[in-house]
This record gives sequence, structure tokens and C-alpha cells, in this order.
Amino acid sequence: MILLQVIVGGLLIGAVYALFSSGLTLIWGMMNVINFAHGEFVMLGMYAAFWAFTLAGLGPAAFAPLAAVLLFILGVFVYLALIRHVMRGPMLAQILSTFGLLLLLRYSAFWAFTANFVTLPDDLVGASINLGGILVSAPKLLAGVVAILLTAGMHLLLTRTAIGSQILAVAEDRQAAMLMGIKPDHMQALAWGLSGASAGIAGALIATFFPISPTVGESLTIIAFVTVTLGGFGSVPGAMIAGLLIGLIESLSAFYFGPIFQDVVVYGLFVVILWVRPHGLLGKA
Amino acid sequence: MLEPVRTMLLRAENIRMAFGGFLAVADAGLEVAEGEIVGLIGPNGAGKSTFFNCLAGDLKPSAGRVLFEETDITEASPEAHAALGIGRTFQVPATFEEMTILENVMVGAFLRHPREKEAREAARRALALTGLDRLAEHKAKSLGTPGRKRLGIARVMATEPRLVLLDEALAGLNPAEIRQAIELVRVIHRSGVTLVIVEHIMEVILTLAERIVVFNEGRVIAEGKPREIVNDPAVIDAYLGRSHARRAHQP
Amino acid sequence: MPRKPIIGWLALAAVLIGFPLVFTGAYYEQLAAFVILSAISASAWNLVGGYAGQVSVGHAVFFGAGAYMPLLFYKLWEASPLLGFPAGIAVSVVIAVVIGVPTFRLSGHYFSMATIAVAELIRILVSDWDFLGGAIGLMGPATSRGWWDLVYRSSVPYYYIFLAVLAVLLYITHRMERSRLGYYLRAIRAGERAARSLGVPVSRYKLYALMLSAGFTSLAGSLYAVKFGFVDPGSTLGILVSVQMVVMAALGGAGRLLGPLLGAIILVPLQTTTNTFFGGAGTGLAFILYGGIIMLLSRFEPGGLLELWERYQARREARMAKERALVGAGEDHAA
Repeated sequence: MILLQVIVGGLLIGAVYALFSSGLTLIWGMMNVINFAHGEFVMLGMYAAFWAFTLAGLGPAAFAPLAAVLLFILGVFVYLALIRHVMRGPMLAQILSTFGLLLLLRYSAFWAFTANFVTLPDDLVGASINLGGILVSAPKLLAGVVAILLTAGMHLLLTRTAIGSQILAVAEDRQAAMLMGIKPDHMQALAWGLSGASAGIAGALIATFFPISPTVGESLTIIAFVTVTLGGFGSVPGAMIAGLLIGLIESLSAFYFGPIFQDVVVYGLFVVILWVRPHGLLGKA
Repeated sequence: MLEPVRTMLLRAENIRMAFGGFLAVADAGLEVAEGEIVGLIGPNGAGKSTFFNCLAGDLKPSAGRVLFEETDITEASPEAHAALGIGRTFQVPATFEEMTILENVMVGAFLRHPREKEAREAARRALALTGLDRLAEHKAKSLGTPGRKRLGIARVMATEPRLVLLDEALAGLNPAEIRQAIELVRVIHRSGVTLVIVEHIMEVILTLAERIVVFNEGRVIAEGKPREIVNDPAVIDAYLGRSHARRAHQP
Repeated sequence: MPRKPIIGWLALAAVLIGFPLVFTGAYYEQLAAFVILSAISASAWNLVGGYAGQVSVGHAVFFGAGAYMPLLFYKLWEASPLLGFPAGIAVSVVIAVVIGVPTFRLSGHYFSMATIAVAELIRILVSDWDFLGGAIGLMGPATSRGWWDLVYRSSVPYYYIFLAVLAVLLYITHRMERSRLGYYLRAIRAGERAARSLGVPVSRYKLYALMLSAGFTSLAGSLYAVKFGFVDPGSTLGILVSVQMVVMAALGGAGRLLGPLLGAIILVPLQTTTNTFFGGAGTGLAFILYGGIIMLLSRFEPGGLLELWERYQARREARMAKERALVGAGEDHAA
């Protein structure tokens, strides 16, 4: 029974991992740029949720979309101000740009919010729910379900809508897209916005059940990296599956080896994936 | 008249290259004898560039084999190709911008000369061959298109290849530059290098190549001497224009 | 590459050798030692991050391996920390191989992602491993039992030891620049595909660069351990250590011989000042500053200050050449 609880809990958090990782893999596949600050976007989403609740009494139904919008704007801004210029330059400039952003965001958060943890109230979404004998935390359940829906929604947005196919067209072949009248610059900015939004909303969801501090981005960025690698370069469905898997593995590791080793197992898994199957589950070779 | 028997240097058999659902090369083959100049032509999208990249080791074909002398190089990396003596140039010359012209060529020379002094001398020889010796200390980024093409050739010549794959080496040049480039290609050929040339400019191919292979829709549709090719109805069809055949006949 | 006149090198050597003799006092001596130590690790990073263009953002793992080994040897066997130096290098090189072999055959980003993940992985492991002192860390010999303990009260002997190591590292780097390794690394950085076509074994050479870099970074970590006599996960395996190496090399000029030293000379005093000025919050402020500097560099001048200087010089020379040509033409006309 306990094991089942661990598994369900792992899948739920994995769904959230899938959500923000799908945003990361979108821009990676499209522009061959890795956002080292992606975890910090999630962190900012968490703080957005916290302050929206603390200052304005907003609940999850309001602060989640709010976090999405704020981080959408940040994503677009980062693209226009920085990424657009370093994208086609040397690798050093590309990596430095988002790595510098990581430092700026994380330590500005430290300075602004101090290193102390803050939390949203436990009963914001509800307490534990009994699902056929296993106890599931209500905020986690909500987060997991919403995350899965949004990730699927992201996938549908990309594959079934006009704007989505324009984004994918730019990802596939920039020249051809330009010939079709699509503006790559606009689509790339939009992708960065979507990436930010996915991170922001994931953060807002996580905030309902997890302590918020400036350092959360550290492990979330690496989890995002493992997830997008396992899922495969540029593949949103891959990120979805991989996210669930990683959440599950993390949860089982915490259960069997203790919470400290959950990170060790996941990071170690990253190295194993790189050795054994770097192109991941669904990536293009 | 007996022709001297020439060794088969490069042979590609039943090459097939599929990208997902798209079949770029359906079934193509090629044989290149030592000392030949073989031209590879075909309309846009015919698959010749893809085939070329399979020969060069940049792409691993979905099926088929590539043999250099008797060594199977189908899956060999580009570096292994170079070590074996197969060089290539790029359509868009990928010069090392911030390095000097001499340094660019030295990168190639180091393949056969691990020591800096010998590599430098070998590089200077390659520069002299391509007429770039006076620009040796200038940065590569200061070169215009014709200079870059020359540099690409100098670099690959420094690796002392037996076979060079030239990828649209003359695109983007004006007529005077084209004449110089043709002469350079002849100089290289005379130094003992076998050549496979992909080219769009018909006059160039017809002048330089001893034998031409024509691609269309992922297959070889014709093969033979320039005169034969130019009159081949299948080739003319592929290019959709009898005017081309007419123009090629002019001196 | 234009060779700097020998007088420039002598002047630099004179300044570096003479510095602690002119600026005496514990504060300056400690600061100077730290500048040189930082220059060593930044120069080591430079081998793989600058010359080969493979950006590691987790180099602390090599620094930490080098830092822990000497003090571990002391803890286990009361041995001289010096014996731990080669062990640190060996561990670092193994880690380099584990990271480099799978990632160097893939595109660039995988390597950078792997470095951050492995550095964190090791930091967490070490922080929770009592054998290595856990979060508290390890201590070295408190008093000197002999020259081999490398325990000195003043920073000055350390300064000169560090300076000697830096000189050796820079000399090796200089020789590498003019060797096949150097040319191949620069070609890899400038254009991997073209490099491959010329026979450059790209993955293998990237790995060489990483192994060399890891070894020297480990050496820097070992030197840190003997100077401060104390190591813990935060000070040797944390992200600040990785960031410092990157920002110093990048600010001065990644891929250039003296770039990291220049970056260290500028940033170490700056960071020390913000620390003393703002107290504990100072470290946080340093990070914000580094983040900003790194972003600005990436956007406007990835080649760092030395490249900025070089371009300024080139422009000046072009202007002077033009003026000379005009003057010459004027004289011709007059005649």
C-alpha cells in the first residue's frame, strides 16, 4: 500500500516535471539553445504564487495563470534582449548567456527574499484524499492532473493549431519557414514565452505543496536537463514520458534510499543515459 | 587504342538515404578510378549533395556500401576519411575565421606532420600551390568568396589527399574567377589527385570532367563522357530544357 | 599570433615577483595569494572552456577532488598532504573521462549540462558522507611537522608556490598553443565540421583538453587545501567555485594565455571588497554581479577584455595606416 502511495506520488510530481521540461525541450529543439536558468523560471513562478496569495489573497485558480503570464513575458523578454543575439554566435556566448541569467535570477531572489523557506498554507487546496485506500495529498493531485493536461495541451497546441505548426516549421527548417511567410523571430519569441509560461505555471503548482526558497531552481534545472535528455532532443511527448519516469524514479529512490539520495540517483541516471542512450526515448538522432 | 588499367579508388554501391519518410537517394552507385576527374550533376533536389555527403562520411547511408580501395568506409567518420586520404571542400567554405590563413592550412597539414615546423612548411607549400602565399598572415575572415574557396582547397590539399571531393567549389564566382578556379583544379589534378566534382555550372563540368554522372530524383540516370551526356535525352528531360544542351555545344 | 616582446614578459614577471615585497601586510599578502590561486584554476578552466570552446560550468568537481585528497590522506594516515596531490589528479581525470567520453561525441550542450549535474552530484555525496567529514569537512595539519606539510603562518611562501605553479601552467599552455593540440583545439572551437573534414579527431582532442584541464584544476584545489588547512563542500565543490573560474577566464579573455590572470586580478579584489563591505550578503552580491558580467560578456564581448583591447589596437593601426597613406599621397601631389 505504502509503495503504491509512493508510486502515485512520484507520478504526480513527475507530471509537473513533464510540464516544465516540455517548455525546455521546445526551445532546445527549435533553436539549439539550452536555458540554464529554466529552474529559476520555475522558482519565480513559485514566488509569484506565494506573493499573489500573501498580498492579494489569490487562490491557485488565479495565481497559476498569473504565474504563467508573468513568466511568459519574462521568457519573451529574455529572448528579445539576449538570446536572439547570442544564438548564432560562439558556444561560449550561448552557454554564458543563460548561465549568467541563472546567477542573476537566483541570487537576486536571495537578496530580495532571503534564504528562508516560505510556504503556502497546507490547506489551500485541501488535505489528503483517500483514493481507494491510498492517501494522496490534494495539492499534489491537483498539480499532477493539471500538469498532465497542460503538457498534453502544449503538445496539441504545437501539432494541431496553426500557430503551433508555424512554430514547428521554424524548428524544422528556418529557411523554408521564411519562404512561407513565417517570421522565425516571432515564432522563437513565442516559443520562449511558452517555455517561460510552462515553467511559471509548474512553479505555481509546486508551490501549493512544496517549500519555496531561492535555491529550488538548482535541482529543478538539473531535473529538467535529465528529463529532456531522456525524452529526446526537442520532443514534447518524450518529455512527458520522461518526466513521469523521472518523478517515479525519484520517488522510489527517496523511499528506498532516503531523501538525500533521490537527487543522487536522478543525477547519476543522467550520466548513465548519456553513456547508454543519449538520444533518449523519442529524440531525433 | 589501349588505355592503361587504372586502380579503382572509390566505389559506392546501392547507396540509399532516407530521412524519416523522405527518400533523398533511392539507389545510387559510383566508381572512380585513380587519376580521374568525375563530375556529379543533376537538378536541384536530385539527391547529389546527399550522395556526396555519404561519400564524404558526413552522412551514414541507410543502405549500401562505400569502399575506398578495398577498405569499407561506409560508416567511417569524416576524420577517418581524411586520414585515409579522402578530402573534401564545403559548398559554403567553413574557414576558421579568427585564425590566419596560414594557421587555417596548418590545421590540415598537422594530419601528416605532427610537428609544428614541418606542418608550417607543408602549409606554406599548399598556400603557394593555391596562390595565397602572400596573404598567409592575414586573418581568414578578411577574405572574400573567391579567397575562401581557395583557402578551402589549400586546407584540404595540406592533408595530402589522394582523392578530393569538391562541393560546388565554383559557385558564387564571376567568370574571371571561374577561369582561375578551373586552372587551379587542373593544377591539383596534375599533382596526382583524383577528383569528384559536384557542380551546377555546366560549362565548368563539361570542361573539367572526363566522365559525368547525372542524378535525378535520387538515382543515377546517366553516365558517360561529357559529349554523350549532353545529348542524352534523359538528361535533357531532367533539366527541362533543350536550351541547355544547345548552349553546351558552343565553344 | 603576434609574439609579445620579451620586455613585456619581464615586466610582468617583475611585477608579480615583486608584489609582496612592495605591498606588505597580511591583508595584501593573502589577497595576492588568492589572486594567483584563482588565476591557476581559471587558467586551467581556460584549456577546455577557452581554447577548446567546451564550456564547463561544473569545474568545481575537479577543484574539490584536488582539495579533499590531500586532507583525506592526512586524516587517514597522518601522511603529508603532498601525497594526496597525485591522488586528486587521478580522481579528477577519471571524472573527466566519465563526463567527456559520452558527451564529446554529441553536440556541445550535453557536455555543459553534464558538468553541472556531476558537480552537484558529487557535492551532495560528499556533503552526506561522514568519511569525508560531511557538511563540516576536513582539516589539515595544524602545525608544521616538516617542509612536506606546507604549513606556513604567512601567505608569502604560498604566494610564491602558487606563482611557480601558475608559471608552469602558463608555460605549458603557451607550448600547447603552438603545438598540434593547440591548433586542433582552436579548429574545433572555430568549426567542428570543417575540423573533422581535415582529419581532426574531434572527440578525442576535446577529451585531452578536458583531462589536462581537470588535472590542473585539481592541483589548484590541492594548493587551496594546504593553504587554508580546511576544506568543506561549500568552499570547494559549490557553484561559486565553478562560476569564479568561468567569469575570470571569460572577463579577461577566454582562449587567451593571460586572459584568466587578468580576470583574476580584476575580480578577486572586487569580490573581497564586496565581501568585507556587505558582510555575509556580500557573497550573494558577488553572484549577482558575476551573473550580470557574464550576461554582458555573452551579449557584447564574448572574447573578453583582451579581445576588446586587440580590436581597439587594430582599429588604431588601421586609422594610422590610412593617415600615413593620405600624407604620402599629399606629398606625391606636392612633388
